[in-house]
Amino acid sequence: MRNAYVDQFPAEARVVKSAFWSSFLALAIGGIFGLVQALHRTDVLRFIDSTDYYTVLTAHGVLLAITFTIFFLVGIFTWAVTTSLDRGVVDIRFTWSWYVMMVTGTVLVAVAIFSGFLEEPPSILGSELYADVLFTFYSPLQAHPIFYIGLVLFVVGTWLAGFDWFRTWWAWRDENADERIPLPTFMVLTTTLFWYICTLGVALSILAFLLPWSLGIVDSVNPLLTRTLFWYFGHAVVYFWLMPTYVMWYIMLPKLSGGKLFSDPLARVVFVLFLLLSTPLGIHHQYLDPGIAEGYKFIAMTNTMFLLLPSLLTAFTVVASMEHGARQRGGEGYLGWLTALPWRDPVFTGMALAGLMFAAAGFSGMINAGMNINYLVHNTWWVVGHFHLTVGTAVALTFMAAAYWFIPQVTGKELWSRSVALGQVLLWFVGMTFMSNAMHRSGLFGMPRRTAEPQYQNFDFEPAVGTVAEMDAQVALGAVLLVVSLVLFLLNMVLTSFNGTSDSIPDNTYAGTLSGPEDAPEILDNLKLWTAIAVVLVIFAYTLPLASIVESGGLFGPGIDGRQLSLGADLEPALETLREVVA
Amino acid sequence: MRVSKGALLVGIVLLVPFVIELRTALSWFGIEITVVESALVGLALAVAITAWALWPPNEDGEAADRS
Amino acid sequence: MNIHTYEKVWLAASMVLIVGFIATITYGAVGPGVSMISDDGGSIDPSEINDDERFEETGVTHVGGNEYEVAVLAQAWSYSPDEIEVPAGSEVTFYVTSPDVTHSFSVVGTNVNTMVVPGQVSEMTVEFDEPGEYGILCNEYCGEYHHTMEGTLSVVPEDEFDLTELSVEAPGEVESGNETTINATVSDGMQTDLETTATLEIGGEQYDEDVTIDGAGSESVEFAVDADQLGEGDHDWTVTVDGEEESGTLSVVDGANDDSGDSDGGDDDA
Repeated sequence: MRNAYVDQFPAEARVVKSAFWSSFLALAIGGIFGLVQALHRTDVLRFIDSTDYYTVLTAHGVLLAITFTIFFLVGIFTWAVTTSLDRGVVDIRFTWSWYVMMVTGTVLVAVAIFSGFLEEPPSILGSELYADVLFTFYSPLQAHPIFYIGLVLFVVGTWLAGFDWFRTWWAWRDENADERIPLPTFMVLTTTLFWYICTLGVALSILAFLLPWSLGIVDSVNPLLTRTLFWYFGHAVVYFWLMPTYVMWYIMLPKLSGGKLFSDPLARVVFVLFLLLSTPLGIHHQYLDPGIAEGYKFIAMTNTMFLLLPSLLTAFTVVASMEHGARQRGGEGYLGWLTALPWRDPVFTGMALAGLMFAAAGFSGMINAGMNINYLVHNTWWVVGHFHLTVGTAVALTFMAAAYWFIPQVTGKELWSRSVALGQVLLWFVGMTFMSNAMHRSGLFGMPRRTAEPQYQNFDFEPAVGTVAEMDAQVALGAVLLVVSLVLFLLNMVLTSFNGTSDSIPDNTYAGTLSGPEDAPEILDNLKLWTAIAVVLVIFAYTLPLASIVESGGLFGPGIDGRQLSLGADLEPALETLREVVA
Repeated sequence: MRVSKGALLVGIVLLVPFVIELRTALSWFGIEITVVESALVGLALAVAITAWALWPPNEDGEAADRS
Repeated sequence: MNIHTYEKVWLAASMVLIVGFIATITYGAVGPGVSMISDDGGSIDPSEINDDERFEETGVTHVGGNEYEVAVLAQAWSYSPDEIEVPAGSEVTFYVTSPDVTHSFSVVGTNVNTMVVPGQVSEMTVEFDEPGEYGILCNEYCGEYHHTMEGTLSVVPEDEFDLTELSVEAPGEVESGNETTINATVSDGMQTDLETTATLEIGGEQYDEDVTIDGAGSESVEFAVDADQLGEGDHDWTVTVDGEEESGTLSVVDGANDDSGDSDGGDDDA
């Protein structure tokens, strides 16, 4: 008797499947745009105008960092809650409603962004569609109102999704009063809580300032304020998309290795630490911002460093669980057990390699977090190399590997090809190694990020080792390999959906624990307490910087107009004139 | 085989970051090698690992091929 | 709570690592004195940047000793000034702001790197020990032509650096038989006194005038020119002082032709 997720929760499985496919679609478009950028920047192949590069870059950032990750997240979290509580959601119509809301938001945002490719974008609500503002939408760059409205709908959709998980847990708690919160649900709830805390910042930024300003209701904003509110949200969001990855590493990887999770209590501690520390450190993205005193930056730096702790604990627990699994499979010796792991399984191998890459990303992240050394790497390609290891590999590769297990679970269809899947995850690792390594190294000699043509008229970059051309070639090669890998992934997903249903789908289970929840102090499950502490930490970290920003620049800034800096079609001559006038 | 095919493949893939970093690391000691040279080193290492893995199997070669 | 021994060891090692990181960063701040960009620069109204005394005129000014200030305007898509020159061995404070969107002011390959947010002034003090040439670029997206925004920073040997400026007033025409003067105004942007020689070359002759200028002051140097000595026709002249140069042409015309008046014959670095 088959006992896959689709058999246990057919209605929920449809929502999860839809969320996954929304995520894959964003991955497909965003990933291909990534190749366009890599080839354009490195001057290997330029078939778009450099002015359109920024439209491509905006789409790449939003579709991958927000749409791809969060749609996959809501799928995994819905699965985790229902599976671990062994009950469905309270009302499936509500579940569909948040999904539809997220899709609507995404479509609005996409319409605004993609209008950047049109010669003459249509006018809606009295202004031309425009959203070449990148993923960070720093004012005074001003997008069309529907860009902001779309973002709001998307975020509110995730809020409702969070409410859905909470309400499912409340319903379960009524029937299981004395039981500990099952670990996967605990992980989902703590993550949802810090998501509520951090998204308040971006919601405030958009609803109180950017949206009214783009609609012409207020005529000015304080750029440093909206920027600070963005980063209040902007670092926690990286933990938001990292948490489903951690969920996979904690509750799937040990099982795939053939064993159990090393410690349930420490897993809870890790997630509590993320709840506490994810938000009050956003200022570490603003180390080089004027208008924020050094002391606040120091506090953000300290909090960031302490947030290394849960990740270091995770590294221990995950590796220990894998070793436990390998020894169950007959592995021996100090390192010999490594060969006993199921390396032919793309789900396991993809997640393990993603974890390895995340270790490397952790080290480059420690350098970013080092306040004074940050001067050297801030806004260089180094940073891009860093987050292609984190969100681009630790998260993306784990999600793709997880999809090889999840898609059969939610469809009841067997994976089209496990060998292609294994090749795909390995190829991603190799491609990302090439690309990210060269990005990091380029950043060290000052190559900037976010630019269409990093080839300057009056100076050359001076790498310590190697040449600029060679690093550019390495990035282009890496990007090509990544897109080949991406195509193999999508092909596997599409062909799987054409398979007939199969009876040989494994049961829907997750890893047991060596040291279970009975070893975890009850207080760890006191979500109200941890939320209260998290809020207090946020108040400590942010009240004074925000107050001083408002005091010095005003709530709405001194007459700062919205700007959509473009010269239209091809106005190179106008630009030259402008430069001469200025010079 | 001493290790499973999957493990061998992963082993070769894991060489890539080391080979790519080799030039930077060596330059620290004043040794400069070209891209082609480092690619050849990588190839040699991959062949060496493959040879080690395929070398006449120990008595219970089947048992080693677990995954 | 049941924690495995290895896990305790790992936990302790992690804490040592974290505290170690914080300690090294703190040392960087208090030892070598790497301070962060902060709110020292204050805020500014982006539409009235010129009202701020630091930005009345962009460029390099001498504060005294080896201290200099550089005011830079970062705007879509250029820097003003886009060529900055400072002496080696100097301590330079940059003030950077933006009238439009967010930019950066980043000197390639150095830790001179700051965001430039409209409404705020980025202030940072940098020591330039050795001569060198650096590129400046904007590393924050600022609109369609963001990638064209660049500048250069030259750190020149101390003895090659000055802030001397020269402007010359000279007539375009003089009647034969008359005398006229070419007036050079030499100003010294440094806070220290400047002793130098102004030189006029005209008609194959060279005239030197020694001049001493007080710090942050200016002096006029008058060169008398005798039309008869030059003879009728056009004569190119050049005034040089401290590496600055200005030239023009003086025409000596027949005295009978008296419909000419004095006009400014000098033009900037023509």
